[in-house]
Amino acid sequence: MVVANPILYVALPLLVAFLLPLFGKIHKELIRVVPGLLFMFLIFNTVVLFSEVTSTGKPIITQIAGWAPPIGINLVFSAFSGFIAGIISIMGLLVWVYSYKFKKVEFDNSLKYFVLIMLVTAGSIGVVLTGDIFNLFVFLEIVALSSYPLVAFYRGRDGAEASFKYLIVGAFASIAILLGIVLIYSQLGTLNMAEISLRIGEMPEKIKITAFILLFLGFGIEAEMFPLNGWAPDAYSQAPGPVGAVFASMTAKAGIYTIIRLVFTLFDIDAGYQLLLGMGIITLVVSEGIALRQEKLKRMLAFSSLGQMGLLMIAFGINTKAAVVAGMFILFNHAVIKSLLFFSGSYLVYNSENKNIKDLFGFGKKLPLTAFLFGLGAFAIVGLPPLSGFWAKLSLLMASADSNLIALIALILIVSVVEIVYYFRVVNGLYFKKYTGEFEPHKPSWNASLVMLILAAVIVTVGLYPDLIYNYFVNAADALMDKANYIQNVLPSNFVGLN
Amino acid sequence: MDIGRFLLTSITTTALAFVVGMFYAGFRRKITARVQNRVGPPVYQNFIDVVKLWSKKSNITHGVMQHLAPLWQIATSITTLMFIPILVDSTFFVNLTFKGDLIFLLYLMVVGSLGMALGAGEGGNPNSAIGVTRGLTQMIGFEIPWVMALVALMIQHQTTTIVGLMDVQQASGTWLMFSSPFAFLAALLAMPGMFRYSPFDIVGAPAELASGPISEFGGKYLGTLMTNGSIFAFVKLVLYVDIFMGGATNLVLLVVKTFVLYMFPVLWGLVSPRFRTEQSVRFFWGWPLFFGLLGILQAAFL
Amino acid sequence: MSNLVIILAIFGWAILTYLAFKINKTLGNVFVGVLALALPAYFFTYTPSDYTVSVMGMSLQFGFTSFASLFAMLVVVLSSFALLYSIPYMNKKDRLGWFYMNFMFSVGGMMGILMSKDLVSLFIFWEIMTWSSYLIVIYQGKKVNKVGLKYMIFSAIGAYAMLMAIVLINKWSGNVNIEQFFASFPNYSSAAKLLSSLLLLTGFGVKSALMPLHVWAPGAYTKSPMSYTAVFSGALSKMGIYGMALVAVNLYVHSNMPIMGEVIAWAGAITAVLATFWAIFQNDIRKLLAYSSIGQLGYIAVGLGIGTELSVFAGLYLAILHGLFKGVLWMVVGAIEHRTGKTDFRDISGLIKKMPFTFFVALVAIIALAGMPPLSGFVGKWMLYESMITSNHFIMVLFIFLSSTAAFLYCFHFLYGLFLGQQEDEFLKDVKEVPVLMMIPMGLISLSLIAFGTFPGLIFKPIAQAMSTLGFENVTWRMSSLTNAWGNSMFLKPANFMFMAVFVFFLIIITVVNHKKTKKVGTKDIANGGEPIRDEDNLHYSVDIYRPFYRVISPIMKYKVETFYKRISKGIEEFFQFFRRIYSGNGQTYALYVVIFLTALLILSSTIF
Repeated sequence: MVVANPILYVALPLLVAFLLPLFGKIHKELIRVVPGLLFMFLIFNTVVLFSEVTSTGKPIITQIAGWAPPIGINLVFSAFSGFIAGIISIMGLLVWVYSYKFKKVEFDNSLKYFVLIMLVTAGSIGVVLTGDIFNLFVFLEIVALSSYPLVAFYRGRDGAEASFKYLIVGAFASIAILLGIVLIYSQLGTLNMAEISLRIGEMPEKIKITAFILLFLGFGIEAEMFPLNGWAPDAYSQAPGPVGAVFASMTAKAGIYTIIRLVFTLFDIDAGYQLLLGMGIITLVVSEGIALRQEKLKRMLAFSSLGQMGLLMIAFGINTKAAVVAGMFILFNHAVIKSLLFFSGSYLVYNSENKNIKDLFGFGKKLPLTAFLFGLGAFAIVGLPPLSGFWAKLSLLMASADSNLIALIALILIVSVVEIVYYFRVVNGLYFKKYTGEFEPHKPSWNASLVMLILAAVIVTVGLYPDLIYNYFVNAADALMDKANYIQNVLPSNFVGLN
Repeated sequence: MDIGRFLLTSITTTALAFVVGMFYAGFRRKITARVQNRVGPPVYQNFIDVVKLWSKKSNITHGVMQHLAPLWQIATSITTLMFIPILVDSTFFVNLTFKGDLIFLLYLMVVGSLGMALGAGEGGNPNSAIGVTRGLTQMIGFEIPWVMALVALMIQHQTTTIVGLMDVQQASGTWLMFSSPFAFLAALLAMPGMFRYSPFDIVGAPAELASGPISEFGGKYLGTLMTNGSIFAFVKLVLYVDIFMGGATNLVLLVVKTFVLYMFPVLWGLVSPRFRTEQSVRFFWGWPLFFGLLGILQAAFL
Repeated sequence: MSNLVIILAIFGWAILTYLAFKINKTLGNVFVGVLALALPAYFFTYTPSDYTVSVMGMSLQFGFTSFASLFAMLVVVLSSFALLYSIPYMNKKDRLGWFYMNFMFSVGGMMGILMSKDLVSLFIFWEIMTWSSYLIVIYQGKKVNKVGLKYMIFSAIGAYAMLMAIVLINKWSGNVNIEQFFASFPNYSSAAKLLSSLLLLTGFGVKSALMPLHVWAPGAYTKSPMSYTAVFSGALSKMGIYGMALVAVNLYVHSNMPIMGEVIAWAGAITAVLATFWAIFQNDIRKLLAYSSIGQLGYIAVGLGIGTELSVFAGLYLAILHGLFKGVLWMVVGAIEHRTGKTDFRDISGLIKKMPFTFFVALVAIIALAGMPPLSGFVGKWMLYESMITSNHFIMVLFIFLSSTAAFLYCFHFLYGLFLGQQEDEFLKDVKEVPVLMMIPMGLISLSLIAFGTFPGLIFKPIAQAMSTLGFENVTWRMSSLTNAWGNSMFLKPANFMFMAVFVFFLIIITVVNHKKTKKVGTKDIANGGEPIRDEDNLHYSVDIYRPFYRVISPIMKYKVETFYKRISKGIEEFFQFFRRIYSGNGQTYALYVVIFLTALLILSSTIF
């Protein structure tokens, strides 16, 4: 293919990010226009590649610089990684539309903002697509390094503090991941993920486990796993509104992707699944519980987001096909619904200084559409039918039942009740508490409303007809679970060795 | 059924009930007076009173419900009467004996009270309303042991009809008051409550409540209520006799049995001070309830 | 026409109604009226056919069983009456479009539940019904967090218990089809039997407000607009009964687990007694009716739990009947609220003077509720008692009798407190009878209550058909008589006609005789110990009218399960507060966590891996 190529996912955003200041010199508007065009192209790219993957049933593998794997760096666009890349690009476009007018006022700010968004996009998609573990580390660093300034985007004490916390913990992640990679490389002499996967058995048991633990820790930090996610609530709540959505739908996706790849593909440690499951449960319970006690809207959303990450870990930790399908569904929902909540929520508390929940009381009348969409998002995320959240929850529960995890079902459902409590408190407050009048509502611009409406439409449509996208989840799950197929596709010559 | 014949028997039955009930009320007044060392009115005094009430110059009513209240009462009493066998195996007093059972009677017997309660309520007199609430509360008290007694009999003899229970007594030759003594005790202790005689007369106490529910009724309304009272007293007595004392084979025996039974609440009332409402409920939920439980245990396990 | 069309049409119509109200109130009302008329017209004429949809690899089936169509009949009748009633009742309120949309959503949800032949679609519609009713509960914006959230939390607990059962059943039975679940239930292990059915019961028990899951009900019934509460308490709570009947009869009675049926029956009996006691001491009419509803649903649970042919029949009959008379009573409360703006017994008296029609329908409904002959309530009570006595539930029958007798107290309170007693000119001068459109629904339902009292056979037929779905084939029924398991019968026609004949006879006598000497006077003209009453004196007896009874039963009234729940929820919140301290906000702490986590994993690596 000439037009569509996985490389473009990484190359183009990076290129645009570097050229954006130059575009700005030509015409100010280009700063805002070019990223949009780029995202549109990325979506086009996804559609083309995806149709090819679906028709051939094989992943698309691109080699960089002409060296064949395992020596060269390669990008793997499979039904699994491609799906996540697709979600990231689509959410990128929506974030762009949403923030189109957001930073209109200041030239510097809007340049910085879009450059960082470009970098996050490039990094996140790179993490998802790459077939090389060191490359993955590099992309992860790109994501992290561009996230720090996004968190501290508003130049204030709180933002800087949050960013700094993120930086400290992120540094630990980098060290741990790098150490893990070093251990693997020292034993196997390769950085190609397929080959590592193929030859992981050759590693001495102790070193293998140590490497696994180091990578698990590093990726766990990025995947917002408890207790490594201390940075996350601050980062989510201090960053500008759409950046919360960026974190939920892009960086968190990249993070969870790394840990899934680690457990599913790279290593052959069965306890890894149980560890993932266990950590998922703890993350879910702790985060949702804390969300119940939050007084600030964005922190509440942040903790709820962490809870969803826990749910994802549970789904993938169960490690049956049904559970992975459910996991894909949750991943999709989390991107869509949580973005809607961040988008609408940030308008609800726009002018409030403390971003407290009680500041948005009575806004149902002031911002009817935004409040309604926030309510819809809340209904969807707690899993009320006929919205999309329900099907994800149902499929996860059915998967747990198939694996005989009865206590887990009960736990997830109890946590869902907690979720209902804190979300409905906010929705009730929106509509029925007295408007205090201290903060004037900030009307969302038309482009922001459009984005929120689109997300709401997706939620309702998928809720009414989940089969619309269900097959993508199934294909993605197939692609993820079939490790042998992955290796064979990446390393056609070496495949014989597996048997 | 021949409608003419039915009319004849039902009217005869009603008349019988009225006359007997009126005389019993008269006897009660007489006995009360003698115990209190008074001469007392003649036993036919109640007939005179009814005639007097019907010929009063003014009849006050406060509205439709008060107008209808005595009718609820009397319709209830007469309908109940139709369902109760007056005599054992009588071919004359058949009425509607085979058309209903005890559960129906239990419910039918309270319809009148509720109608009366509404009529009293419409009168607007607070004393009436207070009386009604007391009456309803007391009803919860005595209904429980009374129902326990009936349930005990029903489950022991696998029938829910009065006729069935009478047949049991005919067949065995013993009265149920002897074969099921606990049930009988429970029912007997509930009886004064049903009659609202002292010590359970807080409902319509003349001194405290100015006669309670009936305080706004006068003239023809009070006359109807008095008529009803006599019929209903007879109904209750016959019901007890039928269930526990084997019924009666002829009218004389019926009168004797009912009169003896009637003396129990009357005489007990003469020597008892008045209970407060909650005291009377507690009374009924004490020994009568205990006997009722014993009765049920006896029926279920013996 | 497929079944699904009905539901989709209702949902679509709901949205159209919302839009219509955006344009114009009259147009919106027309839309409401059209649905109210079209729904029964369509429902009673169409021929059902089954329909299957495949979603995510599950096949969702839709179609009516005869059991479901019995309940659907109630839903359709009550909803369309309530919608008609709503038009004048809600006239002065705002956000009508929102209200009617959710109203119709919940009607659609109920119909969906009834025509679901598999558990997943049942759950979906169940949740739609739940959130739409939740939105109506909080619609008036009063006590949204206290009442609304409580309703939502309990509904969620119930729904999620049900969801857990559904996914487990899906695993154990291999699919979610309801009939196949029943068929495969006997093969379950005993733990699976217990778990799945208890979870389902919890789910259904919450909606039918069975104690101790009832605490949401008084608030939720009270805070919704009365026209919706008529459906809420009349039909929506019956969805719980619908499910409970399926579980109790199909699983317990037919699968040799009668002991579980007893548990349901006892829960019902205790509910009936305690809820009735609570109803007696309420000062708010709506609270009174709410507790009364809880109690009445207890009777139904008793009937279903005992599980004999007669008792299930009685349970279903009472379920239908409760929908009807409670529908009327909520409408009566709505009428009073509409005309006086008050719902407290202490503010209202003597309405019979200005609202005689409302009083009449209230009287009919209350007599039916109290279960007295000659109205229809007695039929249900008779069957229930006889079924208990003939199946040796002789202690339970006392509970039910206690509850029914105690119910007379609040029945009287309702009629006396609102309509009778002192007529205050000050209060009554602006009160009018309700508009015709509100009279029609109340009147028609009341007529049916009267008719069923003598000819219960009119609704015995669909109930008997419904029984066949529950596994009781060829249930015999007669137009106007009842028979228990021992062969003892009750003939309604002679009894009721006798009563009416005597009543009419004496009515003529008492009206005609001394007609000229009869004088109607006002309620200020009463015997008052010789002290004349002035017009401004109010002697209405309305405060704490059952205090003596309270003194009798005060020991058991002290315990409220609500305090227990409050304690639990407080405990949970405090527990999470402890969690919250983990996120100290200090970067060093977070770094420490990372180190600790790493160390822990490394130390434990030999045990974990």
